[in-house]
Amino acid sequence: MFVPSPRFPIPQGTLDMLILQILSLEPAHGYGIAQRLEQISRSVVQINQGSLYPALHRLEQRGWLAAEWKQSETGREAKFYSLTSSGREQLAAEKDSWRRLAGAVQLIFDEGSQA
Amino acid sequence: MKKWLNWFRLARLENDLDRELSYHVERRVQDLVDAGASAAEARRQATLELGGLTQVREEVRDVWLTRWLRDFFYDLRFSARTFRRNPAFTTTVVLSLALGIGAATAIYSLVDQVVLHALPVRDPQRLVLVDWNGDQVASGFGSWNLMSYPICRDLQQQGRFFEGVFCRAEARINLSVGGEQVPAAAEIVSGSYFAVLGVGPALGRVLGEEDDRAPGSSPVVVLSYDFWKTQLGGSADVLGRKLLINQHPMTVVGVAAPEFRGIDVGAVPSLWIPASMSAAAIPRFEEQLDRRKRWMQVLARLQPGVSLIEARTGLQPWFKAMLQEDLRRAGFPAITAERRQRFLASTLELTPAPQGHSSLRRRMAQPLWVLFAATGVLLALACLNVAGLFLARGAARGREIVTRLALGASRGRIGRQLIADSVLLAVAGGALGVAAAPLAVRALIAFLPGDVAPNALQSTVDSRMLAFALLASVAAGLMSGVVPAIRAGRGVLSVLSQRGAGFSGGVRLRKAIVTLQIAFSLILVIAAALFVRTLTGLLARGPGFETTRLISFTLDPVRNGYNPMETSRLIRRVYEELQAPGIAESTGVTRFALLTGGSWNDPFTIQTNERTTTDHDINVNAISPGFLATLGVRVVAGRDFDAHDSRPPGQSGRRSALVNEAFVQHYLRGRNPLGVRIGEGSGPDAVADVEVVGVVTNFSYRGMREKAEMVLFPMFEGDDGGGTFYLRVRQTPEAAYSSIRAAVRKADPALPILSFRTVDEQVARSLTNERLLAALSTAFGGLALLLSLVGLYGVMSFVASQRTPEIGIRLALGATRSDALWLVLRDALLMIGAGAVIALPVVEALGRLVESLLFGVTPADPATIAMATLAMVLAAVCASYIPARRAAMANPVDALRFD
Repeated sequence: MFVPSPRFPIPQGTLDMLILQILSLEPAHGYGIAQRLEQISRSVVQINQGSLYPALHRLEQRGWLAAEWKQSETGREAKFYSLTSSGREQLAAEKDSWRRLAGAVQLIFDEGSQA
Repeated sequence: MKKWLNWFRLARLENDLDRELSYHVERRVQDLVDAGASAAEARRQATLELGGLTQVREEVRDVWLTRWLRDFFYDLRFSARTFRRNPAFTTTVVLSLALGIGAATAIYSLVDQVVLHALPVRDPQRLVLVDWNGDQVASGFGSWNLMSYPICRDLQQQGRFFEGVFCRAEARINLSVGGEQVPAAAEIVSGSYFAVLGVGPALGRVLGEEDDRAPGSSPVVVLSYDFWKTQLGGSADVLGRKLLINQHPMTVVGVAAPEFRGIDVGAVPSLWIPASMSAAAIPRFEEQLDRRKRWMQVLARLQPGVSLIEARTGLQPWFKAMLQEDLRRAGFPAITAERRQRFLASTLELTPAPQGHSSLRRRMAQPLWVLFAATGVLLALACLNVAGLFLARGAARGREIVTRLALGASRGRIGRQLIADSVLLAVAGGALGVAAAPLAVRALIAFLPGDVAPNALQSTVDSRMLAFALLASVAAGLMSGVVPAIRAGRGVLSVLSQRGAGFSGGVRLRKAIVTLQIAFSLILVIAAALFVRTLTGLLARGPGFETTRLISFTLDPVRNGYNPMETSRLIRRVYEELQAPGIAESTGVTRFALLTGGSWNDPFTIQTNERTTTDHDINVNAISPGFLATLGVRVVAGRDFDAHDSRPPGQSGRRSALVNEAFVQHYLRGRNPLGVRIGEGSGPDAVADVEVVGVVTNFSYRGMREKAEMVLFPMFEGDDGGGTFYLRVRQTPEAAYSSIRAAVRKADPALPILSFRTVDEQVARSLTNERLLAALSTAFGGLALLLSLVGLYGVMSFVASQRTPEIGIRLALGATRSDALWLVLRDALLMIGAGAVIALPVVEALGRLVESLLFGVTPADPATIAMATLAMVLAAVCASYIPARRAAMANPVDALRFD
């Protein structure tokens, strides 16, 4: 018997957006981002931590993130990621398109319920 | 693109990633331990959550550098390592390829600059050359594709097809910027020239229609950027300055855009003169508006959307009407009905001209393409050589490849590795070739004779040259790598089945390669032999006169403002000064210099018992007394000119003429030529009243190849336009120059001495193409021979060592050494023979393409082909004899113990 999991897998491409969103609040290192993601995922979505680092490097390569080595809260050096200005634009663009997509989907659903 | 750079900082990236991941894991472990897990358990879970550290690393690496790119870089790195361990192999391969790519790149650079490169003007693709196809019934001077100035004006009205039309002519002027007169190159252009080309000024303005309204109306010039920079120091106050052009003051109104060097890559003008001032630029030229004077090239820009074919077809009705109109025009010469027919049958021809118009291109295009093809063959040969070497190496690497296959590498992966090998080497060879190519190009440009107008050729590495070299390198890499790569994939089974024997080395394939190499080099060797025979034949035949210790120089007084009468007097004066003892053994003057490519020519009317006209133009020249003696041209009948032959100034009508043996042979066969009367022109109004007083031996006029019919008139007739002096001297040319300088100064201190050089030098200049072809084809042939002999030697060494056990058995069973030698040599001879069989039909087919470049030898000349083939066979036998002998000399016992 199929038991639907309360947590559903994260849609393709959403991880990048979530990372940008987390970093838009303040710079963070990989582990910090992972913990934030963990908090989100505990309640709603399921995130494979393994895909976090490739995503970070991909975003850095695109110039949306900048990285620097800084002392972390434990006193050890960690690689901190922060949002660049083009990253900020990207986040705004993605939020906007997400909103429009969600709105469009909602519209279709509403139409369906009227019928 | 940015990703590529990641390859170079891969070590740092890896290091950073390690730190980053270990920080993550340790923080997680700490958190889990704090929550009560055991250390080992915590570490296990932390890694598990990440999905395995290796996996993450690998995925991040894919972000840095796309997988296939990374693999390719690894392949290249692996290749580079192997090559460092094999310096002899690497050097041979890189040098072979550098040679092939360098040679091809150098010649390509010239082909590109001379033949292919479009002018740096607006939308050059729409430029066309307009030419008259048929008899223009006009006299002309200049190079090729000549038409009259009024036709250019007419064409400007054809706005339906042409956005604009311009005409231009080259001119050599005497230029004085304030002081000494120097010869300079100018371009006489219609007012539309700059506007149609879309070339603007760097300073001031360019020439426009307002400068070309009426003859003599606008004494202005525009300077070329280079001339302004180099001769006038790039000074800003040049505008408004007056220059003396052939003694005519002209005002500088502008400097043209820096990248624009005229429309002839072979003759860069120092300045542009409007056609309205052509009488100033060309002394004694008053026929600018004469429709029967052809002296300019006409180029046009097609209307957007109008094709060349449409324009050509569309123009014919207008053109035919213009021909009819011309016939009725006052001053149209009386011509025979047959010539009239030819005139009316003329058509207007349009050809694409994005590269402009160039005499250099016309002369050099064919030799350059031939040489380019030769370098293509050479490059193919080099690739074959490298392929052979790779095959041999593949044999040695058999074990490595089998091991990798056994460990699970795919064949494609291994093939890719081998391709990476060859591409890496080819690019290295290409880089070396590109480094050397500019030197070669510079040497080749230096080969071209310099003139008053410099050429625009450059030996710098430009993007087009680089693109070609890169293309050639990659192609060479693929060509030399693909066959061995395919083989490597296939050879596996055979390796596994015949334990220890290793790869067969693809002997059959290597033999095929060597056979092809021999065929290719035989083609190049035969080509070299043909071009060398052409050159030596021409040199041995000579120009028909003795050139040793003969020097020449030209005076052109009309450009210094002399009128014809004064010119004649001056030439005679200098001629007499040069008779002073101690300067020369003998001295002569001729109106037009020999061996410069140009000539004065006209049809002739001959009056014997009947009146006939020549079927084509006859070369004409005027000579002074002593000219024939100075050159050593013999008078075979009648007499040389003497002082009485020149008519006194003021009288008109020539009295006497000399003709050469070719003229007698062609037009006066079986008649006594002496006393025959001839006259210039072939129309009904031509008068044949000049008496032939002597016959001279044939000698070259335009160039070394030609000894055509010739008529000679006496000089000093009061209408000479200048002269070229020929002196047979005892001392060195330099010593002679100072006495000549002094003699000319005595007559006129301001008169420049032009084209001073030895006649041997002039001969060499007139044989530029022949020398270029002979020298380069010999070099290519030699290199090709060397490459194929290396290939042959390699294969034969392999074959010989492979057959050593067999030979041992045969020797033990009583075969003689020469039997054994023959056994191995037979293989080589077979390859050589097969190579020749492939090459000879190709030579036969290609021969037609070079026929016009040859002289005194046909492309299928049996002696030349036999000699070249024999040389090739001998060299090849020598190369295979060494390994064959080694095998045959082996001690049978050792030989049998071989394996």
